Amino acid sequence: MNDSPITLDSQDAPKVASNETIISIDNLSFSYDMGSTNTLRNISLEIPAGKVTAFIGPSGCGKSTLLRCLNRMNDLVDTAKVTGGSISILGQDINAPDVEAIELRKHVGMVFQKYNPFPKSIYENVAYGLRVQGIKNKSVLDQAVEESLQKSALWSEVKDRLDSSALGLSGGQQQRLCIARTIAVKPQIVLMDEPCSALDPIATARIEELIAELQEDFTIVIVTHNMQQATRVSDRTAFFYLGELIEYDDTSRIFGNPTRKQTEDYVSGRFG
Amino acid sequence: MVASDRKLQIMSAHILKNYDSDLSALKDSVVQMGGAALDALEKSVAGLLEGNLDQCYDVIDDDEAIDAQEKRIDEQGMSILLRFNPVASDLRHVLSSINICRSLERIGDHAVTIAKRSRKILKAGAVNEVRLIDPLFREVQKIVSSALTVYSDVDEEAAMKVIQMDQMVDDLHKSLGKSLSAQIAGGAKETEPLLNIIFISRSLERIGDLAVNIAEDVVFIASAEDVRHT
Repeated sequence: MNDSPITLDSQDAPKVASNETIISIDNLSFSYDMGSTNTLRNISLEIPAGKVTAFIGPSGCGKSTLLRCLNRMNDLVDTAKVTGGSISILGQDINAPDVEAIELRKHVGMVFQKYNPFPKSIYENVAYGLRVQGIKNKSVLDQAVEESLQKSALWSEVKDRLDSSALGLSGGQQQRLCIARTIAVKPQIVLMDEPCSALDPIATARIEELIAELQEDFTIVIVTHNMQQATRVSDRTAFFYLGELIEYDDTSRIFGNPTRKQTEDYVSGRFG
Repeated sequence: MVASDRKLQIMSAHILKNYDSDLSALKDSVVQMGGAALDALEKSVAGLLEGNLDQCYDVIDDDEAIDAQEKRIDEQGMSILLRFNPVASDLRHVLSSINICRSLERIGDHAVTIAKRSRKILKAGAVNEVRLIDPLFREVQKIVSSALTVYSDVDEEAAMKVIQMDQMVDDLHKSLGKSLSAQIAGGAKETEPLLNIIFISRSLERIGDLAVNIAEDVVFIASAEDVRHT
């Protein structure tokens, strides 16, 4: 990774070498009520590039809140506030006054729990982010749409009906379309907030396969309640409890021989 | 080894009560099978030392029950893996319990071998040299019994001591083999009983190795450290 910070409004932010830190969270505290109570407390962790990192923990532990801090989705909550610490992505403090959330999200895409395609055609869904960026050239858009649908393992299923409504796709296909829409703008990081929780086992398996394939081009951070899924798809796992990071290590370690008793109790189904 | 606060505390109960009861039943089955294997070992050598052929026949007959216990433990382990997807120490407990029952089944087989050899010796008329087995048998009995205790207690420290106990078993086996071989080489009249005693000694030495395997599995359950072949 370069020593100098990378401006997040740059279209061509350099790639971070695999396994080097791409997201650095330093002593982060966060509140939803202007600082009266901290939902996240003193979180510090470094997320490596080109890997899949899973956030796990019981409901209310703060894992989704932290995920949403990474692309400043919490900006949409009026009373939300970072009360301490910082998050650096690509060497840049993402909460610095000169960093625009919109610019940040070009580099940090997000896939949500409930698939949410726009009521537009399949093609327009994928092209949407690029059009917002001002790209109008049809051949550039065509190429980007095909490439994104290929990468999201949807191309062969939809290539003959790109002009059909996205809402006619199955749930699993809609979620893969949302992934295609996210990666079309070539973010370096893809955040996934329980991307399979609304899908059946077959569709879930396809998304999990897709995550493994996307890992070659993107850094993925996934929140999941499904611990078997975390063991299958992630390289690193962070366990959160009551707004604190309890343990962060290789996934094999977290599920094989965690250091902290709280982690062992949670992953082995002793509380949650 | 990474410092861990987990080892200092007793594990909490699982949310799913069946999970706890199934893990506990698995452990009980292994301990019970261990008792049966140890019993077979003791009877096989006691039959020889006391000149009691019935005990030898009992060991041969009872081996089917030990084999059946092995199958039952496999089923229990498989069922837990399928139903509860164990991780961390639970997973190590299930995998190691299945490994341990494999070792116990082989201890049972060695006890049958000892019983059959003992039967041959006794049918031909006991020889004084059978007494030479006793110190080795005592040591093997101790190591197997200790291995079962450390499994029951999941005691890593005691398991490491069990592993070290095997040296004494090996030494006694070698010394016995050397002594009897010398007698045979020296022109002993009855060589067949002496050869059978050498084979019994070899089975006892193998049982010691299997007890070590059990202790190594216990270390793995307790600490996730794989101390095999070290």
